[in-house]
Amino acid sequence: MNVLLDVVDVTVNFGGVNALQGVSFQVRDGELLSLIGPNGAGKTTMLKAITGVVNPQNAKIRLDGRDISRMPTHRRAQLGLALTHQIVRPFRSMTLLDNVTLAAGHQRIRSVFRSMVAVNRDPEHQKAAVLLQLVGIDDHAGQTVTGQPLGVLKRLEVARALALKPRLLLLDEPLAGLNHIEAERLADTLVQINARGLTVVMIEHNLGEVLRISQRLVVLDNGRKIADGIPDQVMRMDEVRAAYVGKEKQHAAS
Amino acid sequence: MLIYELSLATVVCINIIQAIGLNLITGYCGQISLGHAAFYGIGAYTTALMAKAGFPGPVNLMAAMLLSGSVGAVVGLTSLRVREDFLAITTMGVGFLFLGIVRQQERFLGGELGISSIPSFGLGKPGFFGLTLILVILTAAFSLYLKKTWMGFAFEAVADDEDTARVLSVNVSAYKLVAFALGTAMAGLAGGLYCYFARFIVPDDFGFITSISVLSMVAVGGIGSVYGVILGTVLLTLMPDFFRFISDYKLFVYGALLFAVMRFAPEGLAGLPALVSAKVARTGGAP
Amino acid sequence: MLYVELLIQGLIYGCMYAMIAVGLTLVYGLLRILHVAHAGLFALGGYLGLLLTNATGSLLLSMPLAAGLVGLLGMVVYRLCYQPILDRPPYVALIASIGLFIAMEELFRLIFGPYGLTYTHAPLQQLFRFSGVTLRAVDLAIVVGSVSLLGSLAWLAKNTRTGIAWRATVDDPQMAGSFGISVLKVRYLNFFIGSALAGIGGIFISLLSNLVEPTMGGVPSYKALAIIVLGGLGNVGGTLIASLVLGVVEAFGTIFIGDYLDRDAIAFGFLILVLMIRPQGLFARS
Repeated sequence: MNVLLDVVDVTVNFGGVNALQGVSFQVRDGELLSLIGPNGAGKTTMLKAITGVVNPQNAKIRLDGRDISRMPTHRRAQLGLALTHQIVRPFRSMTLLDNVTLAAGHQRIRSVFRSMVAVNRDPEHQKAAVLLQLVGIDDHAGQTVTGQPLGVLKRLEVARALALKPRLLLLDEPLAGLNHIEAERLADTLVQINARGLTVVMIEHNLGEVLRISQRLVVLDNGRKIADGIPDQVMRMDEVRAAYVGKEKQHAAS
Repeated sequence: MLIYELSLATVVCINIIQAIGLNLITGYCGQISLGHAAFYGIGAYTTALMAKAGFPGPVNLMAAMLLSGSVGAVVGLTSLRVREDFLAITTMGVGFLFLGIVRQQERFLGGELGISSIPSFGLGKPGFFGLTLILVILTAAFSLYLKKTWMGFAFEAVADDEDTARVLSVNVSAYKLVAFALGTAMAGLAGGLYCYFARFIVPDDFGFITSISVLSMVAVGGIGSVYGVILGTVLLTLMPDFFRFISDYKLFVYGALLFAVMRFAPEGLAGLPALVSAKVARTGGAP
Repeated sequence: MLYVELLIQGLIYGCMYAMIAVGLTLVYGLLRILHVAHAGLFALGGYLGLLLTNATGSLLLSMPLAAGLVGLLGMVVYRLCYQPILDRPPYVALIASIGLFIAMEELFRLIFGPYGLTYTHAPLQQLFRFSGVTLRAVDLAIVVGSVSLLGSLAWLAKNTRTGIAWRATVDDPQMAGSFGISVLKVRYLNFFIGSALAGIGGIFISLLSNLVEPTMGGVPSYKALAIIVLGGLGNVGGTLIASLVLGVVEAFGTIFIGDYLDRDAIAFGFLILVLMIRPQGLFARS
């Protein structure tokens, strides 16, 4: 399989703290890869470095062979990177449908001047409605964001990212905050989307779902990559168990 | 119409154009500006100098728009560099900078004494009012149209949460610059019209107080709503006249009202219906 | 000698700016509000100081009294004006604050007349000469007064329980709240101290020019807003340095480029220049 995303040697410092130290990994076209690791491992920072929301001190990032390391965030999004936030960030002044419609209109707003003469929103409304249905929140479409339960907003994030028609979907804890049934349903949806050919990279703490749906795992701990491979093998590695179990014990104790 | 009422109506129209311009920047695109009067001033001074040099009125108004809009785009560049609260102060600074330059420029811009005996536009008072009225309608129509376009949609996203807009492929910088360019061009047009209306301009016409007044018109009317902004502008422009019987207190009332609207109805006049219906709903629909 | 005099003049203005700007930056640091009405409290300080001095004949008595009253009014302003609209977008508080400032300015004009008031016996007008540089007692009083006031505040903030609670709240209100510090009390304290300092600043400027007038608050306060941006919004130390820097830049600027820009334009031109080079201000906290 082709390499879709090639991440080489990403280093990020926040005020003297090394969030990421020389992390490299590859994402192959069509796979569903999970980025896991204990809290503070640098997973979210990695996704933000890939999308350009965070500026790494050092990094070489290629999407489909094209170097995107120096591009602004919106350019990377135009080239096919979509990100969902761990803490949901819907446009609060818009309805759920409009949140997705805006993203579905990414071609319309690409050129500032053409956006000035484009008025028709119907095709994008329809696309958005389909996506809301796909993630199972179409009955909330016309409502405003305020007061919606977290489960709905989490799925809105996914629908909005899909509306960009991305080459690569980056999901930051899409299942967090969902109950057991909701999480399983959304995970199934992700598998479906992936089966249709969309490459997915996901950060997720729900290890049950991660092991159920991921084809490959990359494990980070303290800003370094400690494992990379198919789930069964990775989860048997001593370092991974140590990183996880050690942290889990600390967590349980605190 | 009487001469006095005609003048007042012309001033209302000029202010509406100015306020709609600011509403584009602040209401649509979410970028606060405390220096809008500087662009109003650039338009007025451009028009004054060109009119005195003998150029025809329509050309001068176009030039006023073009120059204000260009400077506005440059100032918009600062909005890409600094965050929200900084932008308020930076644009305020642009206003003071403009004023300071004009005041010290006696040779070309007349310094404190300003520019006088500006030639007339050549339509007579009713004709000139007709022209400003047409321009108000055009500006408002354009603004309403813009809200419907994908550009307006992108502005909404930038105003709501620019980081998220970026992740969704919106070129936030480009949209901000366009908002600044369009909004300040409208201020330039208003300035050009004011110049022909007054035919005598001084730096103080374009000071901080003017910037604040325009922002007040937008905020009292209801930020983002074109109709609200028009209503707010008409009210605040005519208010000193309504309150002529308490002439000495009119500025006090103005300040107090501004405060009261923000304190008790922060959505402005445009938000009043919703506010009232919410109150009614809370009291169980009792009249 | 000219340079020395300019430097001193700049520092005097810088001290006065600092007295206004500290309150503004405190309010900003805690509430993210650009508190324009601070200018009204500054002017009120000038008026009260002058009226009380004229009535009692003692500046030393009037100054703390005026400062205390202005401080109390600052707390009232917070309670009545800002607290109810804290959850609104920032422009709401900003415009409300501007409205309040206009109303206060007008109130001064309506009550005390448009032309301003002067001291019956202007205090601190004695002249001193130091190796060729002439200073008035009021110049010295402003520098000594602001340095000692701000210095003792800094000492209190470091060494008293209240001070430590206050600093913790400015750093991280949520964290402070979870440690049992009353964020509300800290806000009141903030408004009291900030407003009292501005009031004293108002008295200083009234002594400098032997005049209080309704519009005296405007320009110094707009500049104080520029200063708190330069100082890195919410950063007290940065604000103090930025005040002095701006005072000196203005003093030298009016001599060297005064033909092209007036004093206010120099100050704001400097602000814009700095922000273009350092968008986070001169002394931003990360």
